Amino acid sequence: MAGVDVGGSGRSGRRSLDSEINMIPMIDLLMVTISFLLITAVWSHMARLNADAQVPGPPRPDVEQEKVEPEKQLHVEMRTPDKFVLIWRQGGTVVSTLDVPRKDDVKQEGPTRVVRYPELAAKIEDEWKAVGQHRDPTDRKLDQVVLHTDNETPYSQLIGVIDAIYQVHRPLAGVGTGNVQKVQSVPAFNVTFAIN
Amino acid sequence: MAIHEPSRRLMHSVRLKFVQKRVRGRGSRLTNANLSLTSMIDFLVVTVVFLLMTFSASGETPIAKNVTLPKAENALDMVDAPMVAITGSQILVDGTPSGNTRAIEDLKRVQRVDELFNLLKGKRDHWKELRPGKEFPGVVVLQIDQDVQAVVVKSVFQTAAFAGYPNVSFMVNALPRNAAHE
Repeated sequence: MAGVDVGGSGRSGRRSLDSEINMIPMIDLLMVTISFLLITAVWSHMARLNADAQVPGPPRPDVEQEKVEPEKQLHVEMRTPDKFVLIWRQGGTVVSTLDVPRKDDVKQEGPTRVVRYPELAAKIEDEWKAVGQHRDPTDRKLDQVVLHTDNETPYSQLIGVIDAIYQVHRPLAGVGTGNVQKVQSVPAFNVTFAIN
Repeated sequence: MAIHEPSRRLMHSVRLKFVQKRVRGRGSRLTNANLSLTSMIDFLVVTVVFLLMTFSASGETPIAKNVTLPKAENALDMVDAPMVAITGSQILVDGTPSGNTRAIEDLKRVQRVDELFNLLKGKRDHWKELRPGKEFPGVVVLQIDQDVQAVVVKSVFQTAAFAGYPNVSFMVNALPRNAAHE
Protein backbone atom coordinates (compact mmCIF):
# COMPACT_ATOMS: atom_id res chain seq x y z
CA MET A 1 0.00 0.00 0.00
CA ALA A 2 1.31 3.43 -0.90
CA GLY A 3 1.86 5.97 1.80
CA VAL A 4 2.45 9.65 2.25
CA ASP A 5 5.30 10.82 4.41
CA VAL A 6 4.25 13.91 6.29
CA GLY A 7 7.54 14.25 8.07
CA GLY A 8 8.61 12.96 11.43
CA SER A 9 11.46 12.80 13.89
CA GLY A 10 11.95 9.05 13.55
CA ARG A 11 12.44 8.66 17.26
CA SER A 12 10.99 5.52 18.73
CA GLY A 13 8.17 5.57 21.23
CA ARG A 14 6.28 8.27 19.40
CA ARG A 15 3.19 7.85 17.30
CA SER A 16 4.12 7.47 13.65
CA LEU A 17 3.61 10.59 11.56
CA ASP A 18 3.35 8.58 8.34
CA SER A 19 -0.22 8.16 7.22
CA GLU A 20 -1.48 5.97 4.46
CA ILE A 21 -3.88 6.92 1.71
CA ASN A 22 -6.27 4.21 0.67
CA MET A 23 -5.62 3.83 -3.04
CA ILE A 24 -8.98 2.35 -4.03
CA PRO A 25 -11.18 5.33 -3.01
CA MET A 26 -8.56 7.69 -4.37
CA ILE A 27 -8.57 6.05 -7.81
CA ASP A 28 -12.37 5.91 -7.66
CA LEU A 29 -12.46 9.65 -6.97
CA LEU A 30 -10.10 10.39 -9.85
CA MET A 31 -12.13 8.22 -12.23
CA VAL A 32 -15.41 9.88 -11.23
CA THR A 33 -13.84 13.34 -11.61
CA ILE A 34 -12.54 12.46 -15.08
CA SER A 35 -15.94 11.09 -16.12
CA PHE A 36 -17.73 14.22 -14.88
CA LEU A 37 -15.32 16.58 -16.60
CA LEU A 38 -15.43 14.62 -19.88
CA ILE A 39 -19.24 14.58 -19.89
CA THR A 40 -19.53 18.31 -19.15
CA ALA A 41 -16.69 19.34 -21.47
CA VAL A 42 -17.56 21.86 -24.19
CA TRP A 43 -15.63 20.93 -27.29
CA SER A 44 -17.02 23.54 -29.71
CA HIS A 45 -16.09 27.06 -28.70
CA MET A 46 -18.61 29.72 -29.64
CA ALA A 47 -17.53 33.28 -30.26
CA ARG A 48 -18.85 36.46 -31.85
CA LEU A 49 -17.86 39.07 -34.39
CA ASN A 50 -18.92 42.51 -33.31
CA ALA A 51 -20.59 45.02 -35.60
CA ASP A 52 -21.85 48.48 -34.89
CA ALA A 53 -25.05 49.98 -36.27
CA GLN A 54 -24.48 53.69 -36.60
CA VAL A 55 -27.94 54.91 -35.73
CA PRO A 56 -28.11 58.70 -35.67
CA GLY A 57 -30.04 60.27 -32.82
CA PRO A 58 -33.17 62.31 -33.45
CA PRO A 59 -32.54 65.82 -34.83
CA ARG A 60 -32.23 68.48 -32.13
CA PRO A 61 -33.14 71.84 -33.71
CA ASP A 62 -32.88 73.55 -30.31
CA VAL A 63 -29.19 72.65 -29.89
CA GLU A 64 -26.60 74.34 -32.03
CA GLN A 65 -24.48 71.70 -33.71
CA GLU A 66 -20.72 72.08 -33.69
CA LYS A 67 -19.14 71.83 -37.07
CA VAL A 68 -16.82 68.86 -36.83
CA GLU A 69 -14.76 67.72 -39.77
CA PRO A 70 -15.99 64.26 -40.78
CA GLU A 71 -13.56 61.42 -40.26
CA LYS A 72 -12.20 59.25 -43.03
CA GLN A 73 -14.06 55.96 -43.35
CA LEU A 74 -13.00 52.89 -45.26
CA HIS A 75 -15.79 51.55 -47.50
CA VAL A 76 -15.34 47.93 -48.56
CA GLU A 77 -17.45 47.04 -51.58
CA MET A 78 -18.04 43.37 -52.44
CA ARG A 79 -20.57 43.72 -55.20
CA THR A 80 -18.79 41.79 -57.96
CA PRO A 81 -17.37 38.25 -57.82
CA ASP A 82 -13.97 39.26 -59.21
CA LYS A 83 -12.83 42.14 -57.01
CA PHE A 84 -13.22 44.13 -53.81
CA VAL A 85 -13.09 47.92 -53.94
CA LEU A 86 -11.55 49.75 -50.99
CA ILE A 87 -12.63 53.41 -50.88
CA TRP A 88 -11.52 55.95 -48.28
CA ARG A 89 -14.21 58.60 -47.93
CA GLN A 90 -14.27 61.77 -45.87
CA GLY A 91 -17.87 62.86 -45.70
CA GLY A 92 -19.02 62.84 -49.31
CA THR A 93 -15.51 63.16 -50.74
CA VAL A 94 -13.67 60.17 -52.11
CA VAL A 95 -10.07 60.34 -50.84
CA SER A 96 -8.67 57.23 -52.54
CA THR A 97 -9.79 54.05 -54.27
CA LEU A 98 -8.09 50.68 -54.54
CA ASP A 99 -9.20 47.52 -56.35
CA VAL A 100 -8.27 44.21 -54.71
CA PRO A 101 -8.63 41.00 -56.75
CA ARG A 102 -11.13 38.73 -55.06
CA LYS A 103 -9.89 35.21 -54.33
CA ASP A 104 -12.25 33.20 -52.15
CA ASP A 105 -10.21 30.73 -50.09
CA VAL A 106 -12.99 28.22 -49.39
CA LYS A 107 -12.48 25.14 -47.23
CA GLN A 108 -15.14 22.64 -46.26
CA GLU A 109 -14.83 21.56 -42.62
CA GLY A 110 -17.63 19.07 -42.04
CA PRO A 111 -20.89 20.86 -42.74
CA THR A 112 -19.25 24.27 -42.33
CA ARG A 113 -17.86 26.23 -45.26
CA VAL A 114 -14.93 28.35 -44.09
CA VAL A 115 -14.31 31.35 -46.35
CA ARG A 116 -11.15 33.41 -45.99
CA TYR A 117 -9.77 36.44 -47.82
CA PRO A 118 -6.06 36.69 -46.91
CA GLU A 119 -5.21 39.14 -49.74
CA LEU A 120 -8.02 41.45 -48.65
CA ALA A 121 -6.81 41.35 -45.04
CA ALA A 122 -3.27 42.23 -46.13
CA LYS A 123 -4.46 45.16 -48.30
CA ILE A 124 -6.72 46.50 -45.53
CA GLU A 125 -3.77 46.39 -43.13
CA ASP A 126 -1.61 48.33 -45.61
CA GLU A 127 -4.38 50.87 -46.11
CA TRP A 128 -4.88 51.33 -42.38
CA LYS A 129 -1.14 51.85 -41.83
CA ALA A 130 -1.13 54.49 -44.57
CA VAL A 131 -4.43 56.32 -44.05
CA GLY A 132 -5.94 55.16 -40.72
CA GLN A 133 -6.64 58.03 -38.33
CA HIS A 134 -6.63 56.23 -34.98
CA ARG A 135 -3.25 54.57 -34.87
CA ASP A 136 -1.92 56.05 -31.64
CA PRO A 137 -1.98 53.51 -28.76
CA THR A 138 -3.56 56.12 -26.46
CA ASP A 139 -6.40 56.83 -28.92
CA ARG A 140 -9.45 54.90 -27.75
CA LYS A 141 -11.46 55.50 -30.93
CA LEU A 142 -11.37 53.03 -33.78
CA ASP A 143 -11.42 53.59 -37.51
CA GLN A 144 -14.69 52.75 -39.19
CA VAL A 145 -15.32 50.28 -42.02
CA VAL A 146 -18.60 50.34 -43.92
CA LEU A 147 -19.33 47.07 -45.70
CA HIS A 148 -21.31 47.21 -48.96
CA THR A 149 -22.69 43.96 -50.35
CA ASP A 150 -25.29 42.94 -52.86
CA ASN A 151 -28.40 41.26 -51.49
CA GLU A 152 -27.60 37.74 -52.68
CA THR A 153 -24.22 37.36 -50.99
CA PRO A 154 -24.20 34.30 -48.65
CA TYR A 155 -23.67 34.99 -44.95
CA SER A 156 -20.51 32.82 -44.90
CA GLN A 157 -18.83 35.26 -47.32
CA LEU A 158 -19.91 38.25 -45.22
CA ILE A 159 -18.31 36.63 -42.17
CA GLY A 160 -15.17 35.94 -44.24
CA VAL A 161 -14.86 39.64 -45.11
CA ILE A 162 -15.60 40.82 -41.54
CA ASP A 163 -13.02 38.33 -40.26
CA ALA A 164 -10.46 39.72 -42.72
CA ILE A 165 -11.20 43.28 -41.54
CA TYR A 166 -10.80 42.28 -37.88
CA GLN A 167 -7.46 40.66 -38.65
CA VAL A 168 -5.87 44.12 -38.54
CA HIS A 169 -4.88 44.74 -34.92
CA ARG A 170 -3.42 47.74 -33.13
CA PRO A 171 -2.11 48.33 -29.60
CA LEU A 172 -4.40 50.12 -27.16
CA ALA A 173 -2.87 51.56 -23.98
CA GLY A 174 -4.59 52.08 -20.67
CA VAL A 175 -6.71 48.96 -20.59
CA GLY A 176 -7.19 47.93 -16.98
CA THR A 177 -8.05 49.44 -13.66
CA GLY A 178 -6.17 51.61 -11.19
CA ASN A 179 -2.42 51.84 -11.53
CA VAL A 180 -2.13 48.50 -13.28
CA GLN A 181 -2.68 49.48 -16.88
CA LYS A 182 -1.46 47.41 -19.74
CA VAL A 183 -1.27 47.62 -23.50
CA GLN A 184 -3.71 45.32 -25.26
CA SER A 185 -4.00 44.27 -28.89
CA VAL A 186 -7.44 45.20 -30.25
CA PRO A 187 -8.97 45.23 -33.75
CA ALA A 188 -8.09 48.42 -35.60
CA PHE A 189 -11.53 48.78 -37.16
CA ASN A 190 -15.14 48.80 -36.22
CA VAL A 191 -17.46 47.30 -38.84
CA THR A 192 -20.91 48.42 -39.89
CA PHE A 193 -23.18 47.63 -42.83
CA ALA A 194 -24.36 49.84 -45.60
CA ILE A 195 -28.04 48.97 -45.79
CA ASN A 196 -28.55 49.98 -49.42
CA MET B 1 32.98 -16.27 -10.77
CA ALA B 2 33.96 -18.10 -13.87
CA ILE B 3 33.31 -16.60 -17.23
CA HIS B 4 31.07 -18.69 -19.48
CA GLU B 5 30.60 -18.54 -23.16
CA PRO B 6 27.23 -16.93 -23.74
CA SER B 7 24.51 -19.46 -24.38
CA ARG B 8 22.01 -19.26 -27.22
CA ARG B 9 19.26 -17.83 -25.07
CA LEU B 10 19.50 -15.30 -22.34
CA MET B 11 18.68 -15.97 -18.70
CA HIS B 12 19.11 -19.74 -18.95
CA SER B 13 22.15 -19.68 -16.77
CA VAL B 14 20.36 -18.03 -13.88
CA ARG B 15 19.80 -20.73 -11.33
CA LEU B 16 16.75 -19.42 -9.70
CA LYS B 17 13.52 -21.39 -9.84
CA PHE B 18 11.13 -18.59 -10.74
CA VAL B 19 13.50 -17.35 -13.44
CA GLN B 20 13.88 -20.79 -14.95
CA LYS B 21 10.12 -21.24 -14.91
CA ARG B 22 9.57 -18.05 -16.82
CA VAL B 23 12.41 -18.57 -19.28
CA ARG B 24 11.42 -22.06 -20.27
CA GLY B 25 7.82 -21.04 -20.65
CA ARG B 26 6.51 -24.04 -18.85
CA GLY B 27 3.05 -23.88 -17.54
CA SER B 28 0.40 -21.45 -18.65
CA ARG B 29 1.10 -17.79 -19.10
CA LEU B 30 0.04 -15.62 -16.19
CA THR B 31 -3.39 -14.12 -16.71
CA ASN B 32 -2.81 -11.29 -14.28
CA ALA B 33 -0.71 -8.37 -15.46
CA ASN B 34 0.92 -5.97 -13.09
CA LEU B 35 -0.03 -2.33 -13.43
CA SER B 36 2.30 0.27 -12.11
CA LEU B 37 0.17 2.18 -9.64
CA THR B 38 2.44 5.22 -9.61
CA SER B 39 2.26 5.69 -13.38
CA MET B 40 -1.48 5.15 -13.40
CA ILE B 41 -2.10 7.74 -10.68
CA ASP B 42 0.24 10.18 -12.44
CA PHE B 43 -1.76 9.72 -15.64
CA LEU B 44 -5.10 10.17 -13.86
CA VAL B 45 -3.93 13.28 -12.04
CA VAL B 46 -2.60 14.85 -15.26
CA THR B 47 -5.92 14.09 -17.01
CA VAL B 48 -7.91 15.61 -14.14
CA VAL B 49 -5.74 18.75 -14.15
CA PHE B 50 -6.07 19.15 -17.94
CA LEU B 51 -9.84 18.71 -17.86
CA LEU B 52 -10.20 21.09 -14.93
CA MET B 53 -8.19 23.76 -16.77
CA THR B 54 -10.33 23.44 -19.88
CA PHE B 55 -13.56 23.28 -17.90
CA SER B 56 -16.10 25.98 -18.62
CA ALA B 57 -18.64 26.65 -15.90
CA SER B 58 -20.77 28.83 -18.18
CA GLY B 59 -21.75 25.87 -20.33
CA GLU B 60 -22.49 25.70 -23.99
CA THR B 61 -24.51 28.37 -25.78
CA PRO B 62 -27.59 26.68 -27.23
CA ILE B 63 -27.69 26.67 -31.02
CA ALA B 64 -30.96 26.56 -32.91
CA LYS B 65 -31.65 23.43 -34.95
CA ASN B 66 -30.77 23.47 -38.66
CA VAL B 67 -28.31 26.32 -38.18
CA THR B 68 -24.75 25.81 -39.39
CA LEU B 69 -22.68 28.67 -38.07
CA PRO B 70 -19.74 29.96 -40.08
CA LYS B 71 -16.24 29.92 -38.60
CA ALA B 72 -14.00 32.91 -37.91
CA GLU B 73 -10.55 33.49 -36.46
CA ASN B 74 -10.70 37.00 -35.08
CA ALA B 75 -13.68 36.58 -32.81
CA LEU B 76 -14.48 37.80 -29.29
CA ASP B 77 -15.82 35.86 -26.32
CA MET B 78 -19.57 35.42 -26.11
CA VAL B 79 -21.70 37.78 -24.05
CA ASP B 80 -25.00 37.29 -22.30
CA ALA B 81 -27.49 39.01 -24.60
CA PRO B 82 -30.76 38.31 -26.42
CA MET B 83 -30.20 35.68 -29.12
CA VAL B 84 -31.85 36.14 -32.50
CA ALA B 85 -31.74 32.93 -34.53
CA ILE B 86 -32.72 32.53 -38.17
CA THR B 87 -33.67 28.93 -38.91
CA GLY B 88 -34.91 28.38 -42.43
CA SER B 89 -37.33 31.24 -42.87
CA GLN B 90 -38.26 31.56 -39.22
CA ILE B 91 -36.88 34.14 -36.80
CA LEU B 92 -36.58 33.18 -33.13
CA VAL B 93 -35.69 35.45 -30.22
CA ASP B 94 -34.41 33.32 -27.32
CA GLY B 95 -36.45 30.45 -28.76
CA THR B 96 -39.67 32.45 -29.19
CA PRO B 97 -40.97 32.76 -32.78
CA SER B 98 -40.88 36.39 -33.87
CA GLY B 99 -41.55 36.65 -37.57
CA ASN B 100 -40.23 35.13 -40.75
CA THR B 101 -37.99 36.13 -43.61
CA ARG B 102 -40.14 35.04 -46.58
CA ALA B 103 -41.28 38.55 -47.45
CA ILE B 104 -37.69 39.82 -47.46
CA GLU B 105 -36.49 36.93 -49.65
CA ASP B 106 -39.38 37.42 -52.10
CA LEU B 107 -38.97 41.19 -52.42
CA LYS B 108 -35.14 41.07 -52.21
CA ARG B 109 -35.25 44.40 -50.43
CA VAL B 110 -34.03 45.39 -46.96
CA GLN B 111 -36.99 46.00 -44.69
CA ARG B 112 -37.92 46.10 -41.04
CA VAL B 113 -39.34 42.91 -39.47
CA ASP B 114 -42.16 44.31 -37.33
CA GLU B 115 -42.68 41.25 -35.13
CA LEU B 116 -38.97 41.07 -34.32
CA PHE B 117 -38.86 44.82 -33.72
CA ASN B 118 -41.76 44.67 -31.23
CA LEU B 119 -40.31 41.72 -29.33
CA LEU B 120 -36.83 43.25 -29.05
CA LYS B 121 -38.27 46.62 -28.04
CA GLY B 122 -40.36 44.88 -25.37
CA LYS B 123 -37.26 43.15 -24.02
CA ARG B 124 -35.43 46.46 -23.94
CA ASP B 125 -38.25 48.21 -22.07
CA HIS B 126 -38.44 45.32 -19.61
CA TRP B 127 -34.68 45.54 -18.97
CA LYS B 128 -34.95 49.27 -18.32
CA GLU B 129 -37.86 48.79 -15.93
CA LEU B 130 -35.87 46.26 -13.92
CA ARG B 131 -32.72 48.40 -13.82
CA PRO B 132 -33.75 52.05 -13.63
CA GLY B 133 -30.87 54.49 -13.99
CA LYS B 134 -28.56 51.95 -15.61
CA GLU B 135 -27.34 52.36 -19.15
CA PHE B 136 -28.80 49.79 -21.53
CA PRO B 137 -25.97 47.84 -23.24
CA GLY B 138 -27.92 47.40 -26.49
CA VAL B 139 -26.21 44.13 -27.40
CA VAL B 140 -27.91 41.45 -29.44
CA VAL B 141 -26.37 38.24 -30.83
CA LEU B 142 -27.41 36.99 -34.27
CA GLN B 143 -27.29 33.24 -34.87
CA ILE B 144 -27.53 32.89 -38.63
CA ASP B 145 -27.04 29.93 -40.96
CA GLN B 146 -24.07 30.18 -43.33
CA ASP B 147 -26.27 30.09 -46.45
CA VAL B 148 -28.67 32.89 -45.50
CA GLN B 149 -28.65 35.77 -47.99
CA ALA B 150 -27.20 39.17 -47.12
CA VAL B 151 -30.56 40.86 -47.62
CA VAL B 152 -31.96 38.90 -44.65
CA VAL B 153 -28.88 39.62 -42.54
CA LYS B 154 -29.10 43.35 -43.29
CA SER B 155 -32.85 43.42 -42.56
CA VAL B 156 -32.43 41.74 -39.17
CA PHE B 157 -29.39 43.94 -38.42
CA GLN B 158 -31.36 47.08 -39.23
CA THR B 159 -34.42 45.92 -37.26
CA ALA B 160 -32.28 45.24 -34.18
CA ALA B 161 -30.66 48.66 -34.49
CA PHE B 162 -34.03 50.40 -34.77
CA ALA B 163 -35.28 48.47 -31.71
CA GLY B 164 -32.48 49.97 -29.63
CA TYR B 165 -29.74 47.37 -30.07
CA PRO B 166 -26.91 49.13 -31.94
CA ASN B 167 -24.24 46.62 -30.86
CA VAL B 168 -24.96 43.63 -33.03
CA SER B 169 -22.76 40.55 -32.77
CA PHE B 170 -22.62 37.67 -35.22
CA MET B 171 -22.25 34.29 -33.56
CA VAL B 172 -19.55 32.09 -35.10
CA ASN B 173 -17.58 28.98 -34.32
CA ALA B 174 -14.18 30.12 -33.13
CA LEU B 175 -11.15 29.02 -35.13
CA PRO B 176 -7.71 29.11 -33.50
CA ARG B 177 -6.01 32.39 -34.37
CA ASN B 178 -3.08 32.40 -36.74
CA ALA B 179 0.07 32.69 -34.63
CA ALA B 180 1.48 35.30 -37.05
CA HIS B 181 -1.17 37.78 -35.93
CA GLU B 182 -0.84 37.28 -32.18
